[in-house]
Amino acid sequence: MTEPLLRVDSLGVGFPSKAGVVQAVTDVSFEVHPGEVLAVVGESGSGKSVTALAIMRLHAKSTIITGSIDFDGIDILGLDDDQMRSVRGRDIAMIFQDPMTALNPVFTVGNQIVEAIQAHHKVPDDVAWKRAVELLEMVGVPEPKRRAEQYPHEFSGGMRQRAMIAMAISNEPKLLIADEPTTALDVTVQAQVMEVLREVQRETGSAMILITHDLGLVAGSADRVQVMYASRVMERGSIDEIFYESRNPYTRALLDSIPDLGGVRERLEPIPGNPPSLLNPPPGCGFAPRCSMAVSACSTVVPELVPVTDGHASRCIRVDDLVPVGGAA
Amino acid sequence: MTALLRVDNLVKEYPIRAGVFRRQIGTVQAVSDVSFELGHQETLGVVGESGCGKTTLGRSLLRLIEPTSGTVMYEDQDVTAASKKEMRSLRRNMQMVFQDPYASLNPRLPIRDIVAEPMRIHGVSKKEAGERVGDLLRRVGLLPEHGNRYPHEFSGGQRQRIGIARSLALRPKVIVLDEPVSALDVSIQAQVLNLLDDIQHEFQLSFIFIAHDLAVVRHASDRIAVMYLGRVAELADRDALYEQPAHPYTHSLLSAVPIADPRRERARKRILLQGDVPSPANPPSGCRFHTRCPLAQDRCVAETPELRDVGSGHQVACHFPIAPGETLLDRVGAMGRTVEIAST
Amino acid sequence: MDQPTDRPTGVEHGIAGSGGEVRSFAYSDVLTSDEAVALEGLSEKPKSFGRLAWERFLRHRLALIGAIGLVLIALLFIVAPWFSDYAFDERNVRDRLLGPSWDHWFGTDEIGRDLFVRTAQGGRYSLRIGLTVAVLATVFGALMGAIAGYFGGWIDNVVSQLVNLILVVPALIVLSVWALKFGSSANQLSIVLAALLWTRIARVVRGVVFQIKEQEFVMAARAAGASHGRIIVRHVMPNFVGVIAVEITLLLGTAIVLESTLSFLGLGVKPPNASLGTLVADAKGSIDNDPIRVLTPGFFIVLIVLFVNFLGDGLRDALDPKSKAEH
Ligand SMILES: Nc1ncnc2c1ncn2[C@@H]1O[C@H](COP(=O)(O)OP(=O)(O)OP(=O)(O)O)[C@@H](O)[C@H]1O
Ligand SMILES: Nc1ncnc2c1ncn2[C@@H]1O[C@H](COP(=O)(O)OP(=O)(O)OP(=O)(O)O)[C@@H](O)[C@H]1O
Ligand code: SF4
Ligand SMILES: [Mg+2]
Ligand SMILES: [Mg+2]
Repeated sequence: MTEPLLRVDSLGVGFPSKAGVVQAVTDVSFEVHPGEVLAVVGESGSGKSVTALAIMRLHAKSTIITGSIDFDGIDILGLDDDQMRSVRGRDIAMIFQDPMTALNPVFTVGNQIVEAIQAHHKVPDDVAWKRAVELLEMVGVPEPKRRAEQYPHEFSGGMRQRAMIAMAISNEPKLLIADEPTTALDVTVQAQVMEVLREVQRETGSAMILITHDLGLVAGSADRVQVMYASRVMERGSIDEIFYESRNPYTRALLDSIPDLGGVRERLEPIPGNPPSLLNPPPGCGFAPRCSMAVSACSTVVPELVPVTDGHASRCIRVDDLVPVGGAA
Repeated sequence: MTALLRVDNLVKEYPIRAGVFRRQIGTVQAVSDVSFELGHQETLGVVGESGCGKTTLGRSLLRLIEPTSGTVMYEDQDVTAASKKEMRSLRRNMQMVFQDPYASLNPRLPIRDIVAEPMRIHGVSKKEAGERVGDLLRRVGLLPEHGNRYPHEFSGGQRQRIGIARSLALRPKVIVLDEPVSALDVSIQAQVLNLLDDIQHEFQLSFIFIAHDLAVVRHASDRIAVMYLGRVAELADRDALYEQPAHPYTHSLLSAVPIADPRRERARKRILLQGDVPSPANPPSGCRFHTRCPLAQDRCVAETPELRDVGSGHQVACHFPIAPGETLLDRVGAMGRTVEIAST
Repeated sequence: MDQPTDRPTGVEHGIAGSGGEVRSFAYSDVLTSDEAVALEGLSEKPKSFGRLAWERFLRHRLALIGAIGLVLIALLFIVAPWFSDYAFDERNVRDRLLGPSWDHWFGTDEIGRDLFVRTAQGGRYSLRIGLTVAVLATVFGALMGAIAGYFGGWIDNVVSQLVNLILVVPALIVLSVWALKFGSSANQLSIVLAALLWTRIARVVRGVVFQIKEQEFVMAARAAGASHGRIIVRHVMPNFVGVIAVEITLLLGTAIVLESTLSFLGLGVKPPNASLGTLVADAKGSIDNDPIRVLTPGFFIVLIVLFVNFLGDGLRDALDPKSKAEH
């Protein structure tokens, strides 16, 4: 296997509040290899965005961050602010869920791409502008020359997200972090944007972390999947391992609870209850109170993320009891 | 089938205003000439992309917004012509569950009062309403004791249960569910979908189920209407709609939905539509889908296709519907055209 | 369409050897309701909104300071004259411009009037105007704002134009003209001040109501058949009382300051009556050799405005069911 591009090791992120520390990310470790797409899935509040923001070092100063993040040999958490700024946007770029808030309303789209380029490369304006137009064309914005001179509000949601992608890839980053890149978009437009994202990722050869709660999106776009729940990684594996050979009750429950477009399932299997609070969480496995397989030990100790096969790991005491019967082996 | 609810040529226009004097400079036809029937204990799904008029349709049915024209009949009563007093009694039979579990509960009232409110409005005594609230809360999987708490103390899924309890308070016959699970996480979504399923049987309800998630709609509905820019593009039994979509839009919509199954996802060919949904303030002439339709021809630009029956209640608004057994790709190929296919 | 492949569903997900006891819960599934009640602390007695608000208020330290401080100041102004041998308009030419002493706590002015009694009288006057203006302007402004926001359309247009008209009128000039022409009794001043100051509240309330009425819970009340009256009173108003609480206190402060300004300019209260403003004005000549005379009434103005703001802050938090008010 190649050297990993990104190596996150026992990352912890906590937000101090009046009532105590909200531990949004606990003991999260993972690797991203060059050229691959790692999907991070999980319910709302499971810590997906907080993890991404920690990699970009975009958290407030008061945030308590522990562990280490190694990107291409650089110790991210050890960089000073200036050094981090030169990594951001050049080596690691991020695409946000809401392109309207991420684009500046008072500059033209072209100008903003130019600025993104010139932040890291000393190129003359006309060269940067030409490049901006090329980028817009690459992400499928029709009439890119004219469009580059327009303002964000003159773009539709799908077009804005394309512009965001163009900006993100303008410096050919080694790692793209896409945080729910299509959640705000309509299904037909979502399909277009995902296609653009897949294409540029393939063309530029960059690695991608795709954050989403949509298991469908994962199925069609990722190489590997990391499932998060209540601030921890519950399971990680190749896409087929997660979808067909899951060794984790939460992953299985999640897959069982979604209605199927094919219409096979009559009655859904919901997960009872609600996710736990991240402020003073109960001891043991965060999923235990909702888990149909939980035993008493589950609510006393937090299980380790144990390897199942090479690259497949699950955090569950009963991992050995969860042998896949159906599906492929 | 005698219909419980009959909608004929319903239209809702919003004024577009601009300038300091808020002068009207045009109209948005958010719902355009929509007709359908809803049977007893039936669920009619309504799907479509953002802004296609689903919410407007749902609210017009209950006259929470005044329809511009058209009629809505509940049994043999004309909802659209009902007086204030008649409307009040109609509201006992027709209720609504809202999309946003945060905005749909009054933050200043405890749950008990929120659920009791419809009963109090309709003259049920405080004591009796209080007792029924306990039962209702229990019915939706909460406890009577939860009634003392305020909305912000509940999770999204619990709030949606409270909204459902409120809609059941008057023992209605029809409930319009406006995206009841869209704001919920998948694991919670299933709880609420199952609950809706249960109460439908228990209280013999008919549902109008509005959603944008095609898998959810398929799961929940008996028949489904697909809307595009204010119009119904296709209306059919759910299996017919999903297995034999006749409208090119339905076809591409289904094809665009990601499926949570990597193998199926790898095996299928996903058609990518061109462009975005046009603005409803300035809809395309003729067939509103023609700007994005891979099958569009001159006739589509000139002439609006009517919703017509193509066999056993399968209704389609398209001049060139896709026949059973045929796919959109076949047709596109036969016409010598191409469409973009996603590269999974 | 696509044929489903063989993704395992729940049934196929095998669970080999399920040793150990199995535990899980959802309220309705496994726990008895007593257990769930205990678990969630649901056994607590229900508390009314008013009671909860009161508790939150009591926990808000600054608000308490504000409230108690205001009460003390008001009491001081009311009872002070009982402890003094002097009347507020009693001149004592021999005792002119005395410093604070046992006899005259705050000293005396140019014509030998006792400043302690005068400050109390002026304070009462200022407070009275402040309160009257705050109540009048709030009631009227909130009503206009609520109606404009709730019904919208031409009603909103009329109210908004009126508000804009009044907002561009320079308050001080109108007040001065009014005072010069029609006199300036406390009541007259209050009404004119209220007529000028209601617009702020109206604007704020209109904006809030505009948002509230678009919320789905108002739609839900309409779906249940509620009348406009019931919707406004039960669903809309409770959601802006917090905003009003803050505005009313700001207004109280503004009114007191405006009145003081007017009086300072000689357009407010007429002698021998005093307000905090006239007391500052009277003393302004002696600011260099006798700063205490300016400072005492000034100090009271500042103190009142400060306490009133504390109070407003606390009220807002207390009236917000979401706040836990851990101050
Ligand atoms: N700045 C912050 N201060 C305090 N708590 C925060 C902050 N940012 C996030 N959190 C909390 O951390 C938890 C994880 O948040 P995060 O945004 O990572 O969730 P997510 O998995 O991205 O969910 P979503 O799908 O809703 O975006 C949440 O409970 C959230 O409330
Ligand atoms: N009060 C209003 N005034 C003017 N236009 C409106 C109003 N409400 C809705 N519209 C417009 O009418 C169209 C249909 O809106 P509607 O909310 O019914 O769509 P929807 O299908 O429910 O969308 P979504 O999926 O986003 O909820 C949209 O173009 C919207 O902008
Ligand atoms: S009528 Fe024409 S444009 Fe409309 S869907 Fe049918 S073929 Fe396409
Ligand atoms: Mg997030
Ligand atoms: Mg809607």
